[in-house]
Amino acid sequence: MKAAFRNAVSFITHSRSINPNPPPVVVSLLPLISIAAVPSPSPSLLRHTRLETLRPFSSPLRRYSMAGSEAPASASLDKQFEDIRVQLEESGSLRERIRAIVMEIDSSTRIMHSSLLLVHQSRPLPEVLEKAKVQIDALKGLYSRLAEVIRECTEEYYRYHGDWRSATQTVVSLLSFMHWLETGSLLMHAEAEEKLGFNSAGFALDIEDYLTGLCFLSNEMPRYVVNRVLAGDYDCPRKVLNFLTDLNAAFRMLNLRNDFLRKKFDSMKYDLKRVEEVYYDMKIRRLASEDSTENHGTEEVPAVENKLFSVSNINLQNFSRLLTHTLSVRFCVGVDRRI
Amino acid sequence: MLTASALRRISVSPMASKPKPHRLHQLAGTTALHSSAKRARTMSTESSSTTMKDAFAKYADYLNHFNEKRERVIKASRDITINSKKVIFQVHRMSRLNKEEVLKKAEKDLAAVINQYISRLVKELQGTDHWKLRRAYSPGVQEYIEAATFCKFCRTGTLLNLEEINATLLPLSDPSLEPLKINVLDYLLGLADLTGELMRLAIGRISDGEFEYAEKICRFVRDIYRELTLLFPLMDDNSDMKTKMDTMLESVVKIENACFRVHVRGSEYTLLGSSDPSSFLLGLPDSEL
Repeated sequence: MKAAFRNAVSFITHSRSINPNPPPVVVSLLPLISIAAVPSPSPSLLRHTRLETLRPFSSPLRRYSMAGSEAPASASLDKQFEDIRVQLEESGSLRERIRAIVMEIDSSTRIMHSSLLLVHQSRPLPEVLEKAKVQIDALKGLYSRLAEVIRECTEEYYRYHGDWRSATQTVVSLLSFMHWLETGSLLMHAEAEEKLGFNSAGFALDIEDYLTGLCFLSNEMPRYVVNRVLAGDYDCPRKVLNFLTDLNAAFRMLNLRNDFLRKKFDSMKYDLKRVEEVYYDMKIRRLASEDSTENHGTEEVPAVENKLFSVSNINLQNFSRLLTHTLSVRFCVGVDRRI
Repeated sequence: MLTASALRRISVSPMASKPKPHRLHQLAGTTALHSSAKRARTMSTESSSTTMKDAFAKYADYLNHFNEKRERVIKASRDITINSKKVIFQVHRMSRLNKEEVLKKAEKDLAAVINQYISRLVKELQGTDHWKLRRAYSPGVQEYIEAATFCKFCRTGTLLNLEEINATLLPLSDPSLEPLKINVLDYLLGLADLTGELMRLAIGRISDGEFEYAEKICRFVRDIYRELTLLFPLMDDNSDMKTKMDTMLESVVKIENACFRVHVRGSEYTLLGSSDPSSFLLGLPDSEL
C-alpha cells in the first residue's frame, strides 16, 4: 500500500508540474488517498502534509510571488520609481530628438562624401569642392538645431555626446580634406568650429573628435595620392608626404590613452608609409622631380638620398628601411642596365 | 572673442554662474588658436608646420590635463569601492544578538567613506561635466549606493532614495558651485547590486532562525525587481543593466526558494504540534470530503 501511495504522490506532483492547473482527475484522486491514509496517523501523515503544503505551490515561484505582492508595496517606493521613470522617459525622448538630427547630419555628410569622392576620378577640383561645399551650409543648420536641443540640458552635454560623436568626426575629416585640397594646410580646430557655425550656436567641437577626424583624413590620403599619380599629377606625392609627415610629427606630441583615438593614430603610420612608397616610386623613375621644378620653380631638385633624409626624419629606423629599399632598387636597375 | 561670446550665449540658461560643460576644452584650445589659425592661411608650408606644432602643443596640454584628472577620479572611485565593500561585509556580520552594535559600526564606516573618499571625488568632479568621466567614477558610486542602501534597509527596512543620498553628499560640495548629484543611472545600477547582498543576508537570517526577517527581505527584493523591470529598458546604456537584471532575478528566486522551504517546514511543525489529524484537509472544498 505504501508503494502505491508513493506512486500516487509522484503521479500527482508530476502531472502538476506539467500542467499548472490541476486537471479534475487529480483532484478526485486526492480524497481517495487521504481517506486511505487517515487510519495510520504518524508516518504517512508527514507525507500527506507535505503533499498538502505543496498544493498551493503547484508552480512554486509564481504562486508564491503572487501571494507576496498582496502585501502593498510602500507608497513612497512606488512614487520614487515613478519619478525616476518619468525622468528616464524625458531623457529618452531628448535622446531620440538628438538622434533624429544626427541621422540628418549623417545623410548630409554622406552626400558631401560622395561628391568629394569625385576627386579620385580627377574631376576638376573647383567643381568638386563647390558641390561638396553646398552641404556645409546644410550641416551648419543641422548643428545649430542640435545645439538648440542640447541647450535644454547643458549640464548633461556629455551624457548625449556619444550620439553625435562619430558623425562629427566624419564631418571634421571631410572638412579638413576639403580645406587641404583648397589650401594645402591643416584645418585648425577653431577654423573647423567656425566653418560649422559652432561659435554662434554656442556649441563646441571636442578636441578628441577633431583629432579623430584628422586621423580619418590621413586614412584618405594614400588613395588620393595613387589616383593623382594615375591622373598624371606627379607632384602630388611630395606635397602629401610633407603634409602627412608634419601631421604625424604633430600627433606624436600628444600623450594618448589606450582608446579609440590612439588606435586611429596608430593607423596613421601606415598611411604615411603608403604615401612614402608612392613617392619613392616617383622619385626613382625621375617622374616627380621634373614636375616639381615646373610647379615650384624656386625649389631645387634634390638627389634621391638627400630627399630621403629630409623626409624620413621621423625616425632612424624608418630612414634605414627606406635607404635599403632604395639601394636594392638601384641595384636592380643596375643589373637591368647591364642586361 | 568669438569664444567669449559663445560662452556668454550658453550662459543664457538660469544657472549663469556655473561653469559650462564644454568650457574645459574651450579653455584648452580655442581662444589661443584663433590668431594662429588665421596666420596659417597666408604663410607658406614651412611655417604652417610650426603652426600645426603650436596648435598640437595646446591639444597635448588639454589631453594631459584631462587624462590626469581621469586618473585621479579612477583612483577615488576605487577607494570608494574598497571601503564600501568593507561596510557591506560589516553589515553581514549582523546576527540577532549584536544587530545594534554591528549596524552602528557600519554606519560609522559609511560616514567615513563619505568624508574621506567621496569628498575627494566630489572635489575632482565639481565644476566640470561629470558625465564625460562617468565611466571612470561609476563603479565606485554604484558600490557606495549599494552600501548605503544596504545599511538603511537593515536599519529601517525601507529603501534609501536618491534624494536622501544626494542630501548626505550636499555638505561636501563647494557652495559656490552647483552641487554634485549622483545620477539616476548609477543609483539604479547600485540598487541592482543591492539585491545580491540582500540575498546573502536573507540566507544568513534564515539559518539564524529569523524567518520573519527573511520574508521581509523577500518582499522588499521583489518590489525592487518589479520596479526595475519597468525602468531598465529606459536606461541610457542598458546592456550592463540587462545582465544585472538576470542576476537579480536569480537572487530573488534564491530568496523565494529559501523562504519557501522554511514555509513548508514551518507548516509541518505547526501540524505536528496540533493533534487534529484532519487539519491537512483544510485546503479542500467540503464537497470532496
